[in-house]
Amino acid sequence: MNAHAIQILFLKDLFLSRWPMFGYFVGGLLSAMVTCLPGEMAGFIGFIMMVTVTIAAGIHLIGVLLLAESVDMTRSFVMSLPVSLLDYSIAKISVVLIAFLIPWLGMLGCLTVLTFVVPDAKQGALAFLVPVFLFMLVGFCLQLVTAVVTESVGWTIVVVVLGNVLLNVFLKTLREHPVISKLGNITSIWSAKARTRKVRPSSRRWCSHNTETDSVR
Amino acid sequence: MSTALDQPQRTTAAASLRGINKSYKHFRLNNIDLEIEPGTVNGLIGPNGAGKTTIMRIMMGLVMPDAGTVSVLGHPISSREASAKQEIGYFSDDMRLYKSESLAFHMQFVRSLFPSWDEDYAQQLLTRFGLSAGQKVKGLSHGQRVKAQLLLIFARRPRLLILDEPTNGLDPVAKREVLSELMQIVHDDTRTILYSSHNTQDVEQISDTITFIDRGQVIASKNRDDFLEGWRRFKLLAPQGWQVPAIDGLRTESTFGNLRVMTLDRYQSDMEDRLQSSGATLEASEAMTLEEIFVAAVSRGREENR
Repeated sequence: MNAHAIQILFLKDLFLSRWPMFGYFVGGLLSAMVTCLPGEMAGFIGFIMMVTVTIAAGIHLIGVLLLAESVDMTRSFVMSLPVSLLDYSIAKISVVLIAFLIPWLGMLGCLTVLTFVVPDAKQGALAFLVPVFLFMLVGFCLQLVTAVVTESVGWTIVVVVLGNVLLNVFLKTLREHPVISKLGNITSIWSAKARTRKVRPSSRRWCSHNTETDSVR
Repeated sequence: MSTALDQPQRTTAAASLRGINKSYKHFRLNNIDLEIEPGTVNGLIGPNGAGKTTIMRIMMGLVMPDAGTVSVLGHPISSREASAKQEIGYFSDDMRLYKSESLAFHMQFVRSLFPSWDEDYAQQLLTRFGLSAGQKVKGLSHGQRVKAQLLLIFARRPRLLILDEPTNGLDPVAKREVLSELMQIVHDDTRTILYSSHNTQDVEQISDTITFIDRGQVIASKNRDDFLEGWRRFKLLAPQGWQVPAIDGLRTESTFGNLRVMTLDRYQSDMEDRLQSSGATLEASEAMTLEEIFVAAVSRGREENR
């Protein structure tokens, strides 16, 4: 393994994906802002926007950085340089993951901050949105592994479609979960006391802690 | 270049391929043995689909052979591919640069991977090839794109150049510029070139040794002069019932009325006399071009395999 070559390949791809990454980052922040606007419809639209941006970012970045290299025949150029297949794969997986995590973390961070900053934000929705974001991250990782292993657009699309179907199942399960559905009520606001407390490791404690949510507006 | 069977094994070879087999659905490389001497220019000639590109890709570690071993510049490709590629410059027609980026971006990228990068030489090549570093790749013509890729290869001063049809599709001026640069590189005795083409004129111009390949098999591999001096075409007016005398290396024979045309690959200076003394009248004894030799060798090889 050649760490120097991996670093160069990583930086090259990070540079090549700068515009899509920036676009998804900005799109993610806007979506998070819309989600925190007052009103049920804004929350719903913002949520759909965030899911769309996350899915689009995943597909686009895998397509541009990984699959397009074979189609555009730039892979032959890179592989003619002093890099092994292992170096190439490590660099690719790292850069696609980072390029995805930047808008993903930006969105999640923005959402978390706004939830506690915007006075009318639906703070309870975080309990619903965080698992959704984690689910989409796992889905993206599976797409990435499929793309790296198969180098096939077809198989990657199959995993993307499967992931989206499972996302809907996951959303339904979350909505129907007794605790999450209560916490995820978009009209719930966490109390100042709840916000200042540390999250405890035990889920039971965490749940009981959140029963201190303020009344419905 | 020579077939490994012809010569004893040498550890100093620039590249060595032994018993290489590779099967695809509609194509098979069959037991390829090649040894490339350091400091030589080696031409690999074959029709489209003969296996030239596959051999080169195997040498670069881009394709794994089903059987056989490959060693390039002393590095076994199966285990030390990246080390070997540090000293190899590889060009292929199916290789592309990032079209949204400039040549300067690519120069910086390649420079960061090669400590041997020669910036002064790169700048000279930019001028000689009429390229602009700031130009985006998508705006380059085919000829400019080929020259840009060659610049990225030449400027890193590789010990071995593997060039897969570099002059393919180039206009005569661009082709001359590329070949002229290759000729300059050839002057450096420490550098080895493997050059493939189906254009025999280009190969003949710069190669020391030439290998013919057809349908996944090496059909001949010799020094260029041995090819050109060894092959001969005779045109004879033969009387009725004339029998071809026993001649070594008779490769093809055609009859047009009483005119016989024969090609041989082991020409000796007394052959004209022997043919005349057999009763035929020698109309012409002609040296053959590399293209004619290639066509004759391929035709004969295909007949033998039928």
